[in-house]
Amino acid sequence: MEINQIQLDALKEIGNIGSGHAATALSTLLQRRIDMSVPEVWTVSFEQVAGIVGQLDAPQAVVYVKVEGDAPGKAVFFFPIPSAEIMAQALFQTEEPLDLFSDEMAQSALKEVGNIMVSSFLIALTQFSGIPLQPSVPALAVDMAGAILDAILIEEGTLDEHVLFIDTQITGIPQIEGQFIFLPDAGSLKKLLGALGV
Amino acid sequence: MSTVINVGMADYKTARTPDILMTAGLGSCIGICIHDPVVRVGGLAHIMLPTANGNPSGNLFKYADTAIELMLKEILALGASKMRLKAKMAGGAQMFSFPGKPPILKIGDRNAEAVEQELKRIGIPLMIADVGGSFGRTIHFDVSTGELKIRTIQHGEKVI
Repeated sequence: MEINQIQLDALKEIGNIGSGHAATALSTLLQRRIDMSVPEVWTVSFEQVAGIVGQLDAPQAVVYVKVEGDAPGKAVFFFPIPSAEIMAQALFQTEEPLDLFSDEMAQSALKEVGNIMVSSFLIALTQFSGIPLQPSVPALAVDMAGAILDAILIEEGTLDEHVLFIDTQITGIPQIEGQFIFLPDAGSLKKLLGALGV
Repeated sequence: MSTVINVGMADYKTARTPDILMTAGLGSCIGICIHDPVVRVGGLAHIMLPTANGNPSGNLFKYADTAIELMLKEILALGASKMRLKAKMAGGAQMFSFPGKPPILKIGDRNAEAVEQELKRIGIPLMIADVGGSFGRTIHFDVSTGELKIRTIQHGEKVI
């Protein structure tokens, strides 16, 4: 669907409030300063979506949370491996090196990060829009970012020609960086915009 | 001097010797490689979904059952003989597992099946496949030799 400037601004605004909540939650969890950038809203063809993850076969830790409720969608966090390791270490209050590819404790810690951030994001979204939304159980993959993204995009066995998503950069002091994207499912965008009165 | 030609999601490219076709970060998607060893030309298609369901709209390169046929035409136009064409494929992983999800929804497996069927239908032998698992693949296809190099992050590198 075509969206106009007012609708775009409304989406940016809910993205902004949602990611603000998510940043606060992460900051509390990790006991360090976390900033999230003012979100961008992108409408691109699916071929171009891959561009958001940078180098397609660079390894990243990706937490994927399906959003359920009246306006379902997908919430995805991308963390470069060193950032993900720092977060897992911070959660376990250890400086021991850990291997995200095999350490199940570290993997579940990252899923928990995703869960808490998405929950906070959705609480804000629900308060703002009045549409009840809940996170599903988070899933984690540590592998090539492009491979993980394609699996998320086509998970349901369909793919729209154009994809709209809200995109926020995460920066933690020190040494954490990541990216959060929220993709409303095809029918959800209309509902969200309707609920926002635009 | 060979050039490495990058093939994006839902796209295909064809090439002549000595060029290399590559696609990075295949997850559930599949890279289909077809080549003629004599004329030394070939193509690589990066498909995302099994079928256009007879109702093709938008980008036809994203479906196994439409992309292969389009690419085949272009490979033949480069001077290949259909009798000599051989195929290989890689990809079709399942990057996430969700407990309780029925296997019918595993899109990677469905993609691999669709490619196999389509190759059978148009009569191109599938020589070898490296599909499935739960990891991404970056592939380089040498249209001169038909060698397909597969790189992963945790599961090594191989040539098929």
